[in-house]
Amino acid sequence: MSNMILLPVVFPIMLGFLLLLVTERVFSNRKILIYMTGVSFILCALLSCLAISGAAGERLVLFRLPDNIFVCLAMDGLGRLFAGLVTLIFVLVGFYSLSYMRHERNEKRFYGFYLITFGVLMGLCFAGNMVTLYMFYELMTLATVPLVLHEGTKEAVMAGLKYLFYSFGGAYMALFGIYVLYRFAGASDFKAGGFLDASQSGDTGLLLVSAFLMILGFGVKAGCFPLHAWLPTAHPAAPAPESAFLSGIIVKGGVLAIVRTVFYCFGAETLRGTWVQTAWAVLAIITVLMGSSLAFKEKVLKKRLAYSTVSNLSYILLGLSMMNTTAFVGSMLHVVFHAVIKSALFMFAGALIFNTGRTRVNDYIGLAGRMPVLFGCYTIVSLGLIGIPPMSGLVSKWYLAAGCLESGISVISWLGAAALLLSALLTAAYLLPVSVKGFLYAPVDSSLIEQYREPGPLMLVPIMILAAITILIGIYPVWLIDFIRGVGAALM
Amino acid sequence: MNTIIFAVIFPFIMAFLVWLLFRNRRSDSDRMTVAAGMPVIGAVELAAVGNLLWCDLSGAELCGVSLGYGVGGLGLHFAYTGFRGVFGLLTAAAWLVTFLYAVQFMKNDMRVIRYDIFNLMTLGATMGIFYAADFFTFFFFFEIMSFTSFMWVAHRQTCASQYASGTYLGIAIAGGMAILMGLFIVYYKLGTLEFSELSAIAANQGGLAPVWLYAAAGCMLVGFGAKAGAFPVHVWLPASYTEAPAPATALLSAILSKTGVFGILLVTLTLLPFSESWGMFILLVGVVTMALGGIKGLMSSNLKTTLAYSSMSQIGFMLVGVGMMGLLAGLFEPGAGSGEPSGIWSAYGMAASGTLLHMLNHSLIKLVLFMLAGLVFLRTGGYELNRVRGYGHGKPFLLVTFLVAAAGVGGVPLLNGYVSKTLLHESITEYIMLAGDDAFRIIEYLFLFSGGLTVAYMAKLFIALFVEENEDAALQERYDADKNYASLWSKLAIGLCALLILALGALPNITADGIAAYAGDFTDGELLAVNYFSLKNLSGALISAVSGAALYLLIVRLWMLRKRGEGYRELFPAWLDMERYVYRAVFYRFIPFLLGIISRVLDSLVDTLVVILRKTVYRDRQLPYELPEGNCATHFLGRCMEAAERLRCAVKKKEYRPQNYEHRLALMNMDMFENVRIIGRSLSFGLFMFCVGLGLTLLYLLAANGG
Repeated sequence: MSNMILLPVVFPIMLGFLLLLVTERVFSNRKILIYMTGVSFILCALLSCLAISGAAGERLVLFRLPDNIFVCLAMDGLGRLFAGLVTLIFVLVGFYSLSYMRHERNEKRFYGFYLITFGVLMGLCFAGNMVTLYMFYELMTLATVPLVLHEGTKEAVMAGLKYLFYSFGGAYMALFGIYVLYRFAGASDFKAGGFLDASQSGDTGLLLVSAFLMILGFGVKAGCFPLHAWLPTAHPAAPAPESAFLSGIIVKGGVLAIVRTVFYCFGAETLRGTWVQTAWAVLAIITVLMGSSLAFKEKVLKKRLAYSTVSNLSYILLGLSMMNTTAFVGSMLHVVFHAVIKSALFMFAGALIFNTGRTRVNDYIGLAGRMPVLFGCYTIVSLGLIGIPPMSGLVSKWYLAAGCLESGISVISWLGAAALLLSALLTAAYLLPVSVKGFLYAPVDSSLIEQYREPGPLMLVPIMILAAITILIGIYPVWLIDFIRGVGAALM
Repeated sequence: MNTIIFAVIFPFIMAFLVWLLFRNRRSDSDRMTVAAGMPVIGAVELAAVGNLLWCDLSGAELCGVSLGYGVGGLGLHFAYTGFRGVFGLLTAAAWLVTFLYAVQFMKNDMRVIRYDIFNLMTLGATMGIFYAADFFTFFFFFEIMSFTSFMWVAHRQTCASQYASGTYLGIAIAGGMAILMGLFIVYYKLGTLEFSELSAIAANQGGLAPVWLYAAAGCMLVGFGAKAGAFPVHVWLPASYTEAPAPATALLSAILSKTGVFGILLVTLTLLPFSESWGMFILLVGVVTMALGGIKGLMSSNLKTTLAYSSMSQIGFMLVGVGMMGLLAGLFEPGAGSGEPSGIWSAYGMAASGTLLHMLNHSLIKLVLFMLAGLVFLRTGGYELNRVRGYGHGKPFLLVTFLVAAAGVGGVPLLNGYVSKTLLHESITEYIMLAGDDAFRIIEYLFLFSGGLTVAYMAKLFIALFVEENEDAALQERYDADKNYASLWSKLAIGLCALLILALGALPNITADGIAAYAGDFTDGELLAVNYFSLKNLSGALISAVSGAALYLLIVRLWMLRKRGEGYRELFPAWLDMERYVYRAVFYRFIPFLLGIISRVLDSLVDTLVVILRKTVYRDRQLPYELPEGNCATHFLGRCMEAAERLRCAVKKKEYRPQNYEHRLALMNMDMFENVRIIGRSLSFGLFMFCVGLGLTLLYLLAANGG
């Protein structure tokens, strides 16, 4: 079954188009739509699990562009890690959305594009070379725009367009780098450790510029300063499941693209010790601190979480920019933990908005008495993001900081570690008050509070699962660390 | 050996069980069940820890043990040593007595189940701290303890406790991060966090420690000092101690502050054991903490706050001991080892044993005092001295136990505080002799002066409670009639601790020296025979007592009680509140404000650029405000519909209400117009971006092919 790898890519896209094209009348009863969608979520997840557990080293050429440029899918450790993560979050957020989207119009459209996005993401994870990756990367942007502007208000449309422009702008920058790569090395497949032999290419200056442009360009998706501004606009405008998926998974698409660029094309050897590494690390450190302090100042919960995403993604980028195995392990761990935690946080925000119709942090004071499980899960994942043992965040932070120090870049290594801790402190300052005030303070308006109650199981259970994962991986992360170390060892 | 793991995990499991069984239940009987079950759990815990001690005493080999493989990333490792055994036992015992006491104290508290759940988790975490064999394990449980004990401070959910718990949490998290930074540095530079390996490395490098090691130790000192309550990170202490319920305060003061001291001891002994400058630094921190705590304690007019500051001051005494250990170890001849019993060696032993014993003694004393304060609170409803004044009349149990504990902490001979303070004092005088440093006399005087402060504020409390009468005569009568103030369990809990105080103090050469010798493996200090009741040692206590009496007369009688009818007044000026006017102002307002401004500028960098481009290159203009509403088509259609509506109403004989079709249509039209415009512009912008990309590509191709 060498085509196993194709199924999780094509099948969801087909299902999605089917859902979009079928007329509204088929689903006269909402239940039918929900059941159909739920079943297709499970089917897609099963297919992707099958593909992930399949043999490594599988390669499948989809079609050929002129000049011997292949569009091909391939399976490797990194792709598996990301694909597994995408599948997990996809299923949980998907089921959550089945309950959340009840109050929105055009449910069918949402599910359709959601399925398409999943297929495209699978393609992104399994992309075998830069051209394929670029193709799926652009498709990912296109497929998610309808999700962002789903609500159709002017604000949502503007946010969607901003998202589109930033993503395209970044992608064009990356495109430039792809051309340069093609000139020097042809359209090679990804190779652990990079396929570019810098000593032969001669024009190192141009190579470095193009590498930096690619990092910056893909960094748009990963919310790297200075092109991060779409994140805090797009997240609050999108419906909560989409915010969760956007923050948990889509932005990791940018991270994946950067990893592929740096470690599978250029090679860490080419970039280590150059100005590209320094500039990249500095940008990441700036973003870490900027995101956290803006989140601390922000009063709208979803926007606060979006700024927190900006900051946390740059933990990952900072770790990658250090280009050693320890930091790489930290980065990939943080990819996993952040995806789990941030999607839970956005689902929490969504559940509160769904329940109360209010968006500001101060509207949630004293609500925990009515929804203890929801707020309990929030507290657990918040502690995880701050990095309090035994939650998972500590593990990734440990590896990131150790990797930073290990890199030995004179000032940046120390600054990086300190920035991580300062940002963790700010994280505590912007996440914990919600939970502390929720549990311990008296509600402002106690007459309203009677009508609020714990969200339904379809919304609550995904959050609970994610909270449980946060604790369990935090207590026993070794298998994950070993797996990532195996992937990372080949790259350095 | 798995007993250690049992002792750490058992309370967590119990907490989980209690939560599972009682999460939605809070009736009287449920609360009674939980409260009565707690002492049983405490007893099991005590038995487990006691078993460890017993095994060690009976000669069984106790080696290190680790919990699973790679828990938390690096794995958790535990070890047993005499010191750990003693403090593990103390921890379990302290929890047991507070559990017994809480049966009475928390009887009418609706949230007792929540309190107990967090209490159990804190117990487990504290056990983990004391048995930790490396810094990672220590930190792991230290953070858990910080967060679970937060619920103690926040327990009452009043405004004051919300404020206090906010400070507590903030300092705990910041301290945790500081420790983590220190750990990163140590781990990166030395490659291990294991205590035994670290001290081996430290022994090799002798007194010459590199700068980064000082940086790491400094970071960790901030975190551990915060938990201990050392100056200047003590700001959370008075409010949190005052706000937490009495059994929790007893534990905060008796055990949790000791985890901080334990951390500082670990840093000193495993990272910088022979560094004089580090010892001097700790000593100075200790002296300031000791004196400041004593002064603020004396100037407070609140029973519990006085005790809180007293804790801070006593922590200062312990830090002085740690500092003396560092200073004396710095005098060791390099390479001489611990062989011959030189003067330095015996002085070092005294500093080490004095520190250990003072940690132990202070725990016992504060358990008694805070539990007594809680009893008083239950009956009087407050901690203000004016309110509780005269409560102690005709209550012999209260009188005796309070007197034992207060005199104990004051350093009265035959009680335990005297033993440890004598040892510490002796180590200072020995150091002065050995180093020939007369300027060091100031430290000695400050030490004795702080001892005097201790005597003074304890005298203040004692006289207010037991000697004076309340100014409200009716209230005094009610106090006098109140005989049933303590349940049997509470009396048992308090009495046990008081007995231990007596046992440690009356026969110091047997009990105290024995414990010091058993726990001394940690500090590597050997306590040579000390004659505690020699004239020279007694004179130190006498100086403290006399200066204490003078301070009491001067400050309390002549200043605090100066105005008749006002009773005890707060003397420390409110505007010197460091927590409110320095920490909150700087760290919670100013720095985030500054960061916020810088970040805001960075945040809007690209957006601003886009706006500028739109204004200049793209010549984008805002839509003018007053557009003529609608166009002729909408006006016409709207009027027609309005007329039709009027006609319909006329036919159906209904009241006509204007429907504003004209306006509504105009709005719809404008909406459509704007959307089309936005989409049009976006498309053109997209095209524009695409063109830029193509242009760049073209340029590059030209350059590549041309060159």
